[in-house]
Amino acid sequence: MSKKKYAVAIRDVIAEEMRSDERVFVMGEDIGALGGVFGCTRGLQKEFGTLRVLDTPISESGFVGIGIGAALTGMRPVIDFMYLDFVYVAMDQLLNQAAKLRYMYGGRASLPLVIRGQQGVGRGNAGTHSQSIEAFFTHIPGFKVVMPSNAYDAAGLLRTAIRENNPVMFIEHKALYIQTEEVPDDPDFMIPFGQAAVKRSGSDATIVATSLMVSRALEAAERLAEEGIEVEVIDPRTLIPFDIDTVITSVKKTGRALVVHEAHKNNGPGSEIASQIMEKGFRYLDAPVARLGAKACTLPFSLVLENAVVPSVEDIIQSVHEICYH
Amino acid sequence: MDKQTILNVHETMLVIRKFEERALNLFETNKLRGSVHLSIGQEAVAATVGAYLRDEDYITSTHRGHGHAIAKGARADRAMAELMGKVTGYCGGRGGSMHIADVDKGNLGANAIVGGGIPHAAGAALSAKMRGTDQVAVTFFGDGASNEGIFHETLNMASIWKLPVIFICENNLYGMTTNVERVTSVKDIAVRGAAYDIPGVVVDGNDVFSVEKAFKKALKRAKAGDGPTLIEAKTYRWKGHWTGDPEMYRSRDEVSSWKEKCPILRLEAHMIENQLLTEEQIRTKHQEIDQLIDEAERFALESPEPDPSTVLDNVFDEGDQ
Amino acid sequence: MAVDVIMPKQGLQMTEGTIISWMASEGDSVQEGDPLFEIETDKLTIEIGAPATGVLLKILSQEGDVVPITERIAVIGEQGEDISELIAQQQSGPEQDQPTEPEHTEGPKTVQPAGEPAEQVATGGSSRYASPRARWKAEELGIDVSSIQGTGPDALVIEQDVLQYAQQAPKATPLAKRLMQQSNTDMDSVQGTGPRGKIYSRDLVSAEPVQPAAAQPEDTIGKLSGMRKTIAARMRESLDTAAQAVHRVDVDMYEAVRLRKRLKAAEIAVSFNDIIVMAVAKSLRKHPNMNSAFTDDGIITYGSVHVGVAVALDEGLLVPVLRNADSMSLHDIHQETRRLGEAARSGTLLPDEMTGGTFSVSNLGMFGIDSFTAIINSPESGILAIGAIVEKPVVIDGEITVRPICQLSLTYDHRLVDGAPAALFLQEIKKMLSNPYLLL
Repeated sequence: MSKKKYAVAIRDVIAEEMRSDERVFVMGEDIGALGGVFGCTRGLQKEFGTLRVLDTPISESGFVGIGIGAALTGMRPVIDFMYLDFVYVAMDQLLNQAAKLRYMYGGRASLPLVIRGQQGVGRGNAGTHSQSIEAFFTHIPGFKVVMPSNAYDAAGLLRTAIRENNPVMFIEHKALYIQTEEVPDDPDFMIPFGQAAVKRSGSDATIVATSLMVSRALEAAERLAEEGIEVEVIDPRTLIPFDIDTVITSVKKTGRALVVHEAHKNNGPGSEIASQIMEKGFRYLDAPVARLGAKACTLPFSLVLENAVVPSVEDIIQSVHEICYH
Repeated sequence: MDKQTILNVHETMLVIRKFEERALNLFETNKLRGSVHLSIGQEAVAATVGAYLRDEDYITSTHRGHGHAIAKGARADRAMAELMGKVTGYCGGRGGSMHIADVDKGNLGANAIVGGGIPHAAGAALSAKMRGTDQVAVTFFGDGASNEGIFHETLNMASIWKLPVIFICENNLYGMTTNVERVTSVKDIAVRGAAYDIPGVVVDGNDVFSVEKAFKKALKRAKAGDGPTLIEAKTYRWKGHWTGDPEMYRSRDEVSSWKEKCPILRLEAHMIENQLLTEEQIRTKHQEIDQLIDEAERFALESPEPDPSTVLDNVFDEGDQ
Repeated sequence: MAVDVIMPKQGLQMTEGTIISWMASEGDSVQEGDPLFEIETDKLTIEIGAPATGVLLKILSQEGDVVPITERIAVIGEQGEDISELIAQQQSGPEQDQPTEPEHTEGPKTVQPAGEPAEQVATGGSSRYASPRARWKAEELGIDVSSIQGTGPDALVIEQDVLQYAQQAPKATPLAKRLMQQSNTDMDSVQGTGPRGKIYSRDLVSAEPVQPAAAQPEDTIGKLSGMRKTIAARMRESLDTAAQAVHRVDVDMYEAVRLRKRLKAAEIAVSFNDIIVMAVAKSLRKHPNMNSAFTDDGIITYGSVHVGVAVALDEGLLVPVLRNADSMSLHDIHQETRRLGEAARSGTLLPDEMTGGTFSVSNLGMFGIDSFTAIINSPESGILAIGAIVEKPVVIDGEITVRPICQLSLTYDHRLVDGAPAALFLQEIKKMLSNPYLLL
């Protein structure tokens, strides 16, 4: 085990995979000399050269398409998005092409393609650089959607993603890059997709939280425990596939559920998770499943306003109170 | 072009022509459904390019892609089965006319989003470069796609990375119903290569030898590691954009004048003139291909429909890397 | 349209009944009012008529089942009618979350058997809605969720309410609890036979540390009838609660015998028992402290005098009640006692004719018993045990003479009445019987 920052854990896994598999390469904007705006590819070009750590022009649609062509023909590209907000520029290549080709080709092609980058609030980047994009990729079938909330998970999940034969949307969070954790040194350390992590055990309510919201949910849980409400916090880690079984097992115990994410609440991933809880665990519910997500407006620049839009620890506490009828 | 290649190109053109004609007939008799975009009149480009590609080379294609698939080695029967959505089709009925692919044979797929397949060819070329092979990738696209951003993005990257990719624009004068001149800043799309420091060549797309000449040069350049070439093949589709197109955007005279430039008749005239085949042999060849298409139709009609219980198969690859 | 057959409430104190027998089988046609099933309650066995004409589609409770009142025990409907939903509903507990619009009610109707006024099941305090989880838990615990008061929003019943209800719900009758306390029996060691495993006093027999000798081949074990069980429990309960003390007195029935003879001559039939009942009733009016009951809240002194008259049957003892006996004529008492006795013997006694007594008399004179001690019919204040009228030598005005003497034993609850007032009450009875003209 080594203590690593989230960003370093990402970088190390990419490097290890590139060392062990020549088919793996990285492409994206500003990943070479700079090593990425957040340092996730720092030093890689020096080690692997300019072809395998390929600086691209600012042509998101084009380089995703090129990544698809490479993936179809035996390579395993890891495409770096400086900001995941930019996926919207490349939506045709991502959702019309990458997500669908294998299916439309009757299964006679595979796309080992990782799209990774960071999203979310925390740096005052306003509406086009602070969004959460996961809902789009959970809606259109074809992508695995991964959202590590800590360095340990980031390492184990990224290795699984790179070794996966399908398009993976690997969603990091800009505010988590300095999160530090013990990460296994094992070069084959992998966390399978579709296995939720129970971050905290509790008997009174279940919180399903993703990415940055996991830490907020845990903080809320500590404060709720002081008033005698024991909250179970579940980090699904991957939205596609989604580990509904772990969630239902928890809800069976607690009878109450809150889903928290940073993506917009309206038609967000929480809508799907809440529905699944009701479909599979209706009889265990003592209260309606609650959802928290960003309000239905563009992420504002002002920190005061930004804080008003995304769920806070206080929001989580209040929501738990509501479902516990406090 | 040697005799055998000419014979091959001729046969391929016949298969494409007769395949397309049969597809139209089947559509009109309600035996197949969906969008069917025919490339009748444009056969020379696909057939000639196909003749110079190996199995390991790559193509990407368009919504008007039956000809490209056949030129890259697709069997008429399996292609026809795909048009009918049958389980024996190239995509098992999941893709249909606009998405025929045969990745193992280097056909990375027809693409129904205009310009969508262009970067995939560049990606395949990048892959070949990274893997150190001499494979090349060809992307077919229309005049309309040259106005898509991704065309420009891809040309730029192919140029800077000197990818072994050949961009073939089949300029058939219409983006669906809109005349290319009305929506395109340049008269010859080939000149757009200059913006990316890529050689741009205009060829007569109805003349196999014209296509051959430019393509051989592009191939040589690609394999030498000098990068991409943009070939603009001026051609014409005889049929509407889609089956049932009322064609209000063009005159019958215009269509007739292009029919006089039929690429197949032109090649057959050349073959007779150069005594490569007699008229009798050509007739026999036509009958042979008619039979092939009859068999393809029967195969497709007799093939089973896909099993609805398999509809969720292949969303993901469940296997190991 | 399907009609429910329910366990009808027979009398105010009835909470559950045992199904003794079904007189029709599933699939049989039944006529409204025709006897359909027989139930046994605390003290009676009664035939219940079919609530509707139709086909007995389904019997939900079998013979021997103890069923709470108003619960559906069978369904009558049309041949081939689909009642699966109805049955499923029964199995999953009553639906509470679907507001019904009375004018559109198409569902099964609850029909009370004829002759019994429809009894509204108390719904006060219960909730209309329950969370899915509450329903799930209630189902697991065998609790009717509709009887629970919800604490969630809009009185929604939530899991916590169900658990709390389950914890509070009496798991044993008060008598059973006392018996367990007295015998140091652990509640967990007793298997209750009531609804949801509620422990009855009868269940304690098997839990008693001392077991009766095991039955030998020549012995027989009879099934305890509901009446037997009830008598056993009531007697036990009476001895356990009331502080029973006894006064005895010999009463000279000379004048009473004369009175009876004269009335008989006038073709007015009365029994000695009637005369004694009348004396008791009049005395109770004069001594209201004996016309009372002991409760935790205080002593209830009744305004009316209702005298229970014990009637011996082969199956056991019944105590029909003469209502307002103090204002009855001797003739009325005679008629009513006779009627009740016959009804008791024929099993047609109505439930309310057996409840509500304030004092009882028990007469074993016809069996030649001189004197005996009766057990108070709880929660009454006392019982008068009447022995046989026997010719005895007595001294009157210094002379030995033979008189018809009847020995009376008053068992009274010393919690209510002390020895002296009880003695005054008995003296009053004696006075009236010695001079029965006082009664008239």
